Amino acid sequence: MLAYVIRRLLSTLIVMAIVGIFVFLLLHLSPGDPAAIIAGDNATPEQITGIRQRLGLEDPLPVQFLRWFGHIAQGDLGVSIFSNEPVLKLVGQRLEPTISLALTTLLIAVTLAVTLGVLAAWKADTWVDRLLMVVSVLGFSVPGFVVGYLLIYVFAIELRWLPVQGYTPIAEGVVPWARNLVLPSVTLGLAYVALIARITRASMLDVLAEDYIRTAKAKGVANQSMLLKHALKNAGVPIVTVIGIGVALLFSGVVITETVFNIPGIGRLVVDAIAKRDYPIIQGVILIFSGVYVLVNLIVDLSYTLIDPRIRY
Amino acid sequence: MNTRRQILKVGAAAGALIAAPSLVFAQPAPTRARTLRAVMHGDLAAFDPIWTTANMASYHGGLIYDTLFGIDSQNQPQPQMVQSFNLSDDKLTWTFVLRDGLRFSSGEPVTAKDCVASIRRWAVRDGGGQHMFRRVTDTPVVDEKTFRIVLREPYPLLLDWLGKAATNVCYIMREKEASTDPQTQITEYIGSGPFIYNRGESRQGARYVYDRNPNYVPRSEPASFMSGGKVARMDRIIMENMSDPQTQVSALQAGEIDFLEWPSLDLIDTLEKDRNIKIEVMNQSGTMGWCRLNHLHPPFNNVLARRAMLHLTHPTEIMKATFGNEKYFRACGSIFACNTPTENDANTDWFKAGQNIDRARQLFREAGYDGRPVVLLSASNVLHMTNAGLLYQQWLKAAGVNVELVTSDWGGVVARRANRNPPDQGGWNIFFTSASGAGYSNPVSLAGHASNGANAWFGWPTDERNEQLRDAWAAASTPEARMQAARAMQENAWNYVPHVHYGQWLAPSAYRANLTGMIGMPELVPFWNVGRAG
Amino acid sequence: MSAALTNAAPSVRPAFRPWRFIRRNPTLAAGLFILAIMVTVALLAPLIAGDPLRMQPAQRLRPPSAQYWLGTDSLGRDVFARLVYGARVSLLVGLSVATFSILIGLTIGLLAGFFRTADAIVMRIMDGLMAIPAILLAIAMVSLSRASLLVVIIAITIPEIPRVVRLVRSVVLSVREQPFVEAAIAGGAPTWKILLRHIMPSTFPPLIVQATYVCASAILIEASLSFLGAGTPPEIPTWGNMVSSSRLFLSRAPWTIFAPGLALALVVLAVNLVGDGLRDRLDPRLARRM
Repeated sequence: MLAYVIRRLLSTLIVMAIVGIFVFLLLHLSPGDPAAIIAGDNATPEQITGIRQRLGLEDPLPVQFLRWFGHIAQGDLGVSIFSNEPVLKLVGQRLEPTISLALTTLLIAVTLAVTLGVLAAWKADTWVDRLLMVVSVLGFSVPGFVVGYLLIYVFAIELRWLPVQGYTPIAEGVVPWARNLVLPSVTLGLAYVALIARITRASMLDVLAEDYIRTAKAKGVANQSMLLKHALKNAGVPIVTVIGIGVALLFSGVVITETVFNIPGIGRLVVDAIAKRDYPIIQGVILIFSGVYVLVNLIVDLSYTLIDPRIRY
Repeated sequence: MNTRRQILKVGAAAGALIAAPSLVFAQPAPTRARTLRAVMHGDLAAFDPIWTTANMASYHGGLIYDTLFGIDSQNQPQPQMVQSFNLSDDKLTWTFVLRDGLRFSSGEPVTAKDCVASIRRWAVRDGGGQHMFRRVTDTPVVDEKTFRIVLREPYPLLLDWLGKAATNVCYIMREKEASTDPQTQITEYIGSGPFIYNRGESRQGARYVYDRNPNYVPRSEPASFMSGGKVARMDRIIMENMSDPQTQVSALQAGEIDFLEWPSLDLIDTLEKDRNIKIEVMNQSGTMGWCRLNHLHPPFNNVLARRAMLHLTHPTEIMKATFGNEKYFRACGSIFACNTPTENDANTDWFKAGQNIDRARQLFREAGYDGRPVVLLSASNVLHMTNAGLLYQQWLKAAGVNVELVTSDWGGVVARRANRNPPDQGGWNIFFTSASGAGYSNPVSLAGHASNGANAWFGWPTDERNEQLRDAWAAASTPEARMQAARAMQENAWNYVPHVHYGQWLAPSAYRANLTGMIGMPELVPFWNVGRAG
Repeated sequence: MSAALTNAAPSVRPAFRPWRFIRRNPTLAAGLFILAIMVTVALLAPLIAGDPLRMQPAQRLRPPSAQYWLGTDSLGRDVFARLVYGARVSLLVGLSVATFSILIGLTIGLLAGFFRTADAIVMRIMDGLMAIPAILLAIAMVSLSRASLLVVIIAITIPEIPRVVRLVRSVVLSVREQPFVEAAIAGGAPTWKILLRHIMPSTFPPLIVQATYVCASAILIEASLSFLGAGTPPEIPTWGNMVSSSRLFLSRAPWTIFAPGLALALVVLAVNLVGDGLRDRLDPRLARRM
């Protein structure tokens, strides 16, 4: 088990190095000049060249890469070209909103999806099952920003139940924090409901077909709630897997949801940075995103042993 | 490096502790009623208003720094930090004396040294400052509160430059920051203005927080543009960076924000119906759509092809496509923008005649256009540029020109427009941008008015007469003489055609109707003097 | 398990009977029907609709009328014409992303699964690619190079590749232990022949199903990219950029967003239905698991 964890951690480092090389090349080989953007509209070419020199952008690519890599190795993600703030600090300021959004989304999506999935499996091959599955597909057929606008219009502008936009740190009270997160989490969660509900339904069906459940049923010892408990427990493994994959999808969805609901999270940070060609931020955030993704999947793999003692490493 | 910065920080904190103890000890956050939440046109990406020409940096500067002079609503420079000033009889030596009691938010008094250092740094970056400093021989400091500017020849525009609101504004910083290399950003943001930047509460890219400067002593005159008393009536100003136009409008309607600088004109109808919202054009000289031509390569190295572009342009079409509501845009034939002091109608017959695609086609033919593709750079994330790209493409095709429309985000346009190669080797023929009407009205300080070849702004036009006329404008000593020079410059410009305009728009701002004392002016959105009724 | 196997298609193919096909495969039939209509519209676009590019700002935001069946957009362009021509581009984006990612993923996956030496390196690179959030990668690629249809397709394709590679590799790993492959190796058949003839066919059923999901998500991602200002160039009509560029007219000119929005939802739904239907037919074991 320990050897497995160490091996996985090592391969994580390799994966991160690959991500680093890839992102660096992507940014530096494509057109776009932060110096020109910094210098503003009235700048002369000489001023732009001056800024490029100061930023080290005139150096050969390998030199720039080694310099960057050296800093990364020491845990230094660099400084924003525009604001001069350390990337780590900028990311730190944006972590809470993004994590809050991801967690509440996951909570809403999993609760809703598992309920739907179990219900569909229970009523398998009836019209309830079919309807639920079609409705769940519709959930990810509509672009997230359209859903977001509609929810804002109904619940924030017309009914005035919830705020339109923004984020309140949890330290300023759980209620305001939650009020700000309801609409974005529902918007973002809808896309994952379909995915998780389908997997839940399938695993439930598998488990329900297993011999011991059938035996239990035949013997008449189990009532329905016990069955459900058994079945759900065994369906845990595939559901956790989906959550692992879902983290990647969630990150992608966060970018759009944060824009629509003006949540000052990491997604917005990186989208703004791309528009400004703020290389250190883009590189840093993508590295962090990837690191989290890899770690979450590591944790997911390890948690299999907890959910299902039959799995061993 | 790190430790040095920490020491500096500790030092600065200690200074603040002695000077203004009330700032250091935690204060309760100001109430919502005493807080102004504003969404501006963009993000405050960089904080140094001398280093960048971005308007957002200038707004930031306007809150935390003060200026020596400030223009009033008649565009006349009035003393602001300056108590008294005089000009020697030979018109070569200006002497300035500062007001009593001026202090930076860090506690130190503002001295003549700070002013001279700030002017010198500004003059390296600003177009007007550069023009002026070619005639400056010395800037001696006389005493703590007195300094001079000594000239080689009379320069009537000196006070206008020190008090102008267009970027770069001559904001007065501490000597410590002002002695930073002008090509490098400053890292401490300390001024003597009506507000103090609250770094701790700000979140880069999300929101920027400014607290009332309790030690600021405003002038006694009423506020008028950049001049008069800058009274902070709100305890806190928060500039939020909110990018989605629909969300911005919804937030304003819900009262979550108080001020929206540029609501999307497509959503303005909704706001006009809302009794709690007031809509006002704050900047009456607006913004000009700017179609820049590359003078280095065919076809626009030929003046006939450039003239063709004048006849091809139908400004109100682009405006209508982008802004819809005719209240908020117009066509303008003056090279100095309309509703500005330099607006005039010299040599604008082509404009009065309106779009004439046949004439354009004929001129392209006379220019020897050989069918090579004309490369248009268009920004996909700026709506008026996107629409300008699409419509110019349609018009050029109608005039028999082959077009290659290259779309990227604005960052991509900015990178490619600097390329002087032929269009098929990474260069370009046309790109779109915009500049404020107030900026345009100034023949000297707008870099785009220069036609000095390789040193000129992107497009690199050459015209000696234009350069002579710009100097003549700056040297003119009466308003009449200045207007005459401006007319002559426009007469000449529409013959050699440095660039083309695709309309002028007056973006309205929207704000909660209970706000009072909003100052509408070009180039800057000042939040001093703004309070809340009730 | 045994129950699932009996669902598999019988080895002798009966004559095609449409009603029976529809009754047995309602989802597949519904999906194919919607797609068929869309493909027909796309192919016949020049016959059905006018010029999708012509701008007439004076005619901006006109409601549906006899002249403009679905009204005009903010540039005074015919929404119906753009919808019809948009079918071409949107379907093209979905199809090419699915095709490219499957082709590239299949090649890499086959090689990685079969050659142990390549496997470790290739899979780490794939892990790396997969760790980068797809939409960030796509935004970065589109923003940093010039926006064109091809760049958008490439930007959506690349993040899909590692998922395909993983799928193919897992199939290869299980198939290569099968007796018929081991027999072929023992018999001295050349490697390429074993790969192409014996192993590749086993990857087809799951890949075809995967392709439909990739296709559906590509059409949606294109819309999201347009929303973030990093989509297809504005002059090219796609349902995605029609929806995102009209989003501000939701209340003022709902026709600009309603038609492309409906088309978008329908095509994604149809492709998903086809995917589900194909899965049920081609891969009964997977059907049970999904």
